[in-house]
Amino acid sequence: MGLLTNILFFPVTGPVAGIKWSLNKVLQVAEEELTDDTPIKQELMELQMQLELGDVDDEEYRRREAEIMARLREVRDWRERFGKSVPGGPVRVGRADDEA
Amino acid sequence: MTEPQTQGTEPLHVPLEGGKYVYCIIRSERQKEFGGIGIGGGQRVYTVHHNDLAAVVSDTPIVIYDPTRENVLAHEFVNETVMKEHTVIPMSFGTVFRSEDDVMELLRSTYQAFSEVLEKMQDKIEFGLKVLWDRDKVVASLEQDNEEIRRLKDEISRHTSTSTYFARMQLGRLVESSLEETSQSYVADIHEFLKSVAVASRSNKPIGDRMILNAAFLVDRAQEGAFDERVKEISRKYEDILTFKYSGPWPPYNFVNIKLKLERAD
Repeated sequence: MGLLTNILFFPVTGPVAGIKWSLNKVLQVAEEELTDDTPIKQELMELQMQLELGDVDDEEYRRREAEIMARLREVRDWRERFGKSVPGGPVRVGRADDEA
Repeated sequence: MTEPQTQGTEPLHVPLEGGKYVYCIIRSERQKEFGGIGIGGGQRVYTVHHNDLAAVVSDTPIVIYDPTRENVLAHEFVNETVMKEHTVIPMSFGTVFRSEDDVMELLRSTYQAFSEVLEKMQDKIEFGLKVLWDRDKVVASLEQDNEEIRRLKDEISRHTSTSTYFARMQLGRLVESSLEETSQSYVADIHEFLKSVAVASRSNKPIGDRMILNAAFLVDRAQEGAFDERVKEISRKYEDILTFKYSGPWPPYNFVNIKLKLERAD
């Protein structure tokens, strides 16, 4: 009976469990990617450098800067949705009694 | 182009007046004015006090400032101006407090740490040094100077059989490791050369694939001229192969690390 159950259910339970697991994994990876602004900041620094070196002109710089700013805002939105801290914006000193 | 002009700010749900943008912390008991140079279109820059500490601020709506070139330059220009007469602890870009009281609370609660760091940073300034190379040029000169590389190239050009596959791989690896070695020796030489005129240095991650050094140097104000001279000297030494991007003086961004316990205030 045990063996039969396994054989009968294996094709079902196996893949389903697998899908569930990989969905969770995908969600986790997606969350990390959506809320990580390091590559965008890196890109901004590279663009800045290219402007300094004269590899891009002012117009090109502004166009690409606007693109990067839009992506930074997107990341900020996602961070808010996932309840992560958001850089910039109003802050205040953490109160001692707020801490556990 | 007709795309709408972005202001470089993102209004929060209820844009409120009365916020304070904080640029840096200085030691000063007297009220100071730095003119209409603040972020967001020439806001008046002034000080908020607690005992002998002062925060250099300007008024701002409660918004998130995008790190556009314009905004970042405004932030830096204020710090540069304040630096002319004061030792500063720079705040990171985009720090907005809701009210003057919140700024005073920052000074009150971090008084000890700010005081200690101000003491340590007294009359110290930062310089940035980025060094870039032309990879192809360096590879060309490696091919000339390195016998093993020359031999492999020879071998590859003389044979057309599959045996050159391994020679090619070997060549690729050899060029890579020689490049790495060369760049490390340049960087070590530059650091060595500047060591005597700097208090401290810090290497950051290079930006892009042409950069071999992205460093910050903490320098005594009294040594500013000497440091300048040394940088000019070393960049002359390498002028054929390396490009030096030298900037400053900056506030000691890379040498002050106070973790503020700040939280979102909505």
